[in-house]
Amino acid sequence: MLATVLGVTATTTARPLAVPGRPARRRNQARDFRTTRWGWAYSAPAVLIFATFVIVPTGYTFYVSLWKWNALNPAMSTFKGVGNYQRLFAATQPTFLSSVWHSLYFSGAMVIGGTAVSLAMALLLQRGGVLLNASRVALFVPHATPVIATSMIWVWIFNPRFGLADWVLHSLHLPTSDWLQSSGSSMPAVIIYSLWHEVGFTTVVFLGGLATLPNELSEAARVDGCSAWQEFWYITWHQLRPVTTFVVAITAITSLQAFTQFYALSGGGPVYATTTLSYLVYQEAFVLSDTGYGAALAVVLFAVTVLFTLVRRRTAAGSESSLV
Amino acid sequence: MRVRTAAVAAVAALSLSACAGGGTPAGSNSAAAPSGHELAVPTTPVTITFEEAMTIGTLKPAMDKLVADFQAKYPNITVKLQGDPDYATMYTKEKAEVQAGNAPTIGQVYESWASYFQSGGAITPISELAGTDTPPQLAGFYKGVQKDLALGDGKNWMWPFNKSVLILFYNADMLKAAGQSEPKTWDDYATAMKAVSTNGVTGSTIDPGTAAGAAFGTQWFEILTKADGGALYDADGTPHLNDAGAVKAMTYLKSLKDAHALATGKNYPGETALGALKGAFDISSAAGYGFEKKTVGDKLTLGISALPSGPQGAVNELTGTNMVVFKNATADQKAAAWAFMKFITGPEEQAGWAAASGYLPVTPQALPQMQDFIAQNPYETAAVSQLDTAFALPPYNWIFKCQGYEATAIQDVLDNGAAPADALKTAQDACATAKTQG
Repeated sequence: MLATVLGVTATTTARPLAVPGRPARRRNQARDFRTTRWGWAYSAPAVLIFATFVIVPTGYTFYVSLWKWNALNPAMSTFKGVGNYQRLFAATQPTFLSSVWHSLYFSGAMVIGGTAVSLAMALLLQRGGVLLNASRVALFVPHATPVIATSMIWVWIFNPRFGLADWVLHSLHLPTSDWLQSSGSSMPAVIIYSLWHEVGFTTVVFLGGLATLPNELSEAARVDGCSAWQEFWYITWHQLRPVTTFVVAITAITSLQAFTQFYALSGGGPVYATTTLSYLVYQEAFVLSDTGYGAALAVVLFAVTVLFTLVRRRTAAGSESSLV
Repeated sequence: MRVRTAAVAAVAALSLSACAGGGTPAGSNSAAAPSGHELAVPTTPVTITFEEAMTIGTLKPAMDKLVADFQAKYPNITVKLQGDPDYATMYTKEKAEVQAGNAPTIGQVYESWASYFQSGGAITPISELAGTDTPPQLAGFYKGVQKDLALGDGKNWMWPFNKSVLILFYNADMLKAAGQSEPKTWDDYATAMKAVSTNGVTGSTIDPGTAAGAAFGTQWFEILTKADGGALYDADGTPHLNDAGAVKAMTYLKSLKDAHALATGKNYPGETALGALKGAFDISSAAGYGFEKKTVGDKLTLGISALPSGPQGAVNELTGTNMVVFKNATADQKAAAWAFMKFITGPEEQAGWAAASGYLPVTPQALPQMQDFIAQNPYETAAVSQLDTAFALPPYNWIFKCQGYEATAIQDVLDNGAAPADALKTAQDACATAKTQG
């Protein structure tokens, strides 16, 4: 039965059959246009902006990473070659690997937790109605707020002596926590805040995906005797794979680059427990004025992000081809 | 296409490297020889800018009054204040402005910041402004303040601004109810802290600071270390963060935490706890008096005293910042800046500034004009007396990092239960590495 359902899924969600040759010709036409002078002229403003604010700074950052950089007077900088990259593995406060681990810890929790929670919320809210529509708005509102402002509020919510979080736990006769004051609980606290702030956006993405799904497959599955869980697992979520891939990729990339909540909530502490790679870049380059080392960290962060992007592209390509 | 993109990036990077001219020293970070001539106050219209953080509470009107008084005396000089909400923001802005070639004329700085600016040839030595490294006004400052103006080369690069020391604020009613009196020694303090820590009250809550900067909790640790005979740093900035005095100080803090008499927090947690009747003590800057008073209101009798003493006697640390004149100012701006700095550190202005802001006057010559204020705030006498003996950390840029390592060690001990000697050994190793890296 499930094989039937899966078979139906595979054929019914396939894209309309393309006329052989047509899309290829369209692509060729596009490519041809891009190589004309008009093509270059039209794309020049975008290329210029991209080059100015992305490509050149990226190249410059790599260049700076090779120096003991005197940001106040670059002429007084001294060439270090790969010295700053060697320091990555010699540093102890914090160690480079610990900051990588904190980045992965945070990103993993956000990807898994954020995707699961937002998918669950989307399923709950997809039916519509006044109350559910209001709930959608309420869920999205945190995402519309500035991270720096709400982080400052959450600092007080997490205050172990006067905060709302411990008051609620205490009222429910549950064990309280030191939240941001303890190395063990500070990262979970930042994750709780980040989920609160981000889930609204990813829920809306899932809601958008759910709105495009045809009902026929679900009805057929129910006729075939699928349980609600089987219907979700084999029909609904299967069709949402491209959306899920998008959510996972976006969440992973934004989580790797997350900074503001770490800056405002925990300052990377206590004892570097929330010092992620992106926070460490800021701290070394802009607070401690160790610009060359900070640039080396930024290059590594760039490489990790590129890696994630390539994985996403490969995964996305795989998920799309599986539906064709 | 990819090859082309890479080539564009490489060319861009190379062109920028050519612009940067890395490796060719073009600036100077040494003080010029004194000219012997003090810069004369300009007589033509001049505008100078002052990057400062005196922007909240009573500080802003106090700062505005200094400027208004100066401009009334020198109507051709306009002082534009560039206010920042906090020191961290101010430092970031100052660095960005220097990098952009748009530095303010004057900036507030901590000693380690000044050292960093000097390393980039971005500031002007006092000798270039005053014609001598030791202008006559210098001798009028408190001895501790005088010693706080030089950098690693032994020359004066800073001029004092908002100086203070730490003092002890406490809930006098709570102490009385617990049968305690104002602590005179750190042992007394520990006893009182433990005695009041009942029924949801924690003796004190401190901000240990973070890797990105010190807080009053960090300075308390430094004071305890010195009071216990520790060195902390040599004059050349060599760290001794895990010597016996430092370990003893950290163990003292840990024993208070273990007795539930000490907690950690952020955003002036001691003041908040005091105002919420959940804490009995707060070690804070004398300049925080106005804030403490506003926070506690009429809820309690606010006691104020000098810090308790340790085996080495009364030890205190200078807090607050100095001023520097940035190098890219014009000659007239430097002359106007020097006139401004001398003016606001004169006895009359210091008396008004200290009474209005809560900071301490940098010269004892201001005290005769502060008698009314001192009568209402008796702690002032004890606080200013410590300006002669209060220490400042050595003025090297790695000290900023090392204070972050101290703060991390305090967090590790108080929040994670680490052994004081282990946490301080980690801090010592990291600080020694930072010194090597310069």
